[in-house]
Amino acid sequence: METEVTNRKSRRKITFITLISVISAFIIYYSLMSMKSPAQKLEEIKNEFETKTTDKSNINQRILKDSAYLKLLKEKAFLQSRIVLAETDSIYLSINLADSTANIGIYGVVVHRAKISKMQISNILMRRNESAILSMLATPLTISQAFATIKKEPVMIQMAPKDTSEYKPDIMPDTTITEPVNYILETDKGVRIYIYQEENTKIDDKISQFKFDLNYRIKDTWSALKRVATFKIPEYHPFIKIRLPRTEAKIIYRAVPKNGQIAVFR
Amino acid sequence: MEDEKIRNEGTQPGIEKNAEGAQPANNESVLRQETTHEEVSKNRKPVLRLFHGVLIFICLILVLFSLILFLLYGVPVLKELTPQQNKEIADNKELKKDPDFKKKIGLLTKDVQRLSLKFNTYASGQSYIVVNTTENRFYLYKNKQLIREGSCSTGSYKKLLTAGGKNWTFKTPRGKFTIQNKRTHPAWHRPDWSFIEEGSPIPPKDSPLRWETGVLGDYAMDLGDSYMIHGTIYKRFLGMPVTHGCVRLNDEDLEVVFNTLNIGSKVYIF
Repeated sequence: METEVTNRKSRRKITFITLISVISAFIIYYSLMSMKSPAQKLEEIKNEFETKTTDKSNINQRILKDSAYLKLLKEKAFLQSRIVLAETDSIYLSINLADSTANIGIYGVVVHRAKISKMQISNILMRRNESAILSMLATPLTISQAFATIKKEPVMIQMAPKDTSEYKPDIMPDTTITEPVNYILETDKGVRIYIYQEENTKIDDKISQFKFDLNYRIKDTWSALKRVATFKIPEYHPFIKIRLPRTEAKIIYRAVPKNGQIAVFR
Repeated sequence: MEDEKIRNEGTQPGIEKNAEGAQPANNESVLRQETTHEEVSKNRKPVLRLFHGVLIFICLILVLFSLILFLLYGVPVLKELTPQQNKEIADNKELKKDPDFKKKIGLLTKDVQRLSLKFNTYASGQSYIVVNTTENRFYLYKNKQLIREGSCSTGSYKKLLTAGGKNWTFKTPRGKFTIQNKRTHPAWHRPDWSFIEEGSPIPPKDSPLRWETGVLGDYAMDLGDSYMIHGTIYKRFLGMPVTHGCVRLNDEDLEVVFNTLNIGSKVYIF
């Protein structure tokens, strides 16, 4: 009887230890694979956007370390990107990280300017001497998917009255409603733009932002876990996280079309 | 009776027995103590077991919670900690003297100037108006300078549905438009939806019942597709999204806008 109990206990112990070891191993494996993902993304960007040059010893290598040259190169990339937008897209967003502004443009005319209060940019995009990143940003990013706490078009359904007796004149819309404005724009080149409202003093705003952020993180982590489970490196998405006043964030989200384009200057 | 005997043996007579012979009494008390200990430990075991179980459960929950936290928040931080090959950016004096460098930087400067000039041509030097439909505000520009701004009313985003399945969404279109026509004392030719919205019968297209005067203010500027910039009798709604797609302004602003913009002037709506 006693030996049976001891056996059961030791079996339980072994199972527990095995389980802990498997989970720990998977976590370590997942972390390592995730840490490899930025390098893989950079490699992908290099393969796709970097201009190939045969002579590696000449000035081309050294010139990319020169601040004056890089400044001009960045300016050129941003201008190229905005010219493409001005000629092809009606309403677009341009984010200038150097002067902390997010602008809405229509056919080359800046129609709205918003001041960015806070920003966080992924390391990949901040590699100042990386010509591949500049080449990538020389063409606009196209929004492929958006996740938001507000509607793009706040459509309200109204049934037509059968006759004049059923007709009710419009009531004044409630403009005091201040819904939290947070959204994430996923782009075709894998870059993600997080735009969160600056106002975060109310508990409702904090909860809403936390829930929104958590939901997105869960979705992202789940897809990464699935990839790692099939022995693939998870996808890395370079990001730009910015905070804007609520009204400005709302204006931008409503103005930029569903598959709108974005120009980024860093 | 026997029970009583036993109880009695265990109390008063026990003292007598103690006096008679200490050994057997000691054995009994040890036995009794052991049994009470067993009983207590038996009673305590389920409580301890429960406590132990709860503790393990809490520990497991905590471990699981920190694991999830690590996956959701820790791993993204780890990704950003990966070593960067950020080479130092420096102003190399030798490099600046290099004729190849001078040539390259010259070409790049020319490129930037050319692109900058091209980009600046998109910004209109003429008068234009910008309408912000989210905030319901307008901005009037002349020679690239803001000369007037104020409240306006734009599309309500109301979707009118009929029993027959017809529908209209009252939103102001976004993008670049031009003033196609300018009118003073405009009359409004009421479209079908304005009758459907009120529940009144729809008159024929050429019916005089369709024409209404005084509701569009003193001026109207056509943007195409029946959209206009015009005045309003509902001034208390200015600054709110209440229109069927047109842009409504108050009388003073409308006059300034009408006098500043010409046919062909640009209207930017976002």
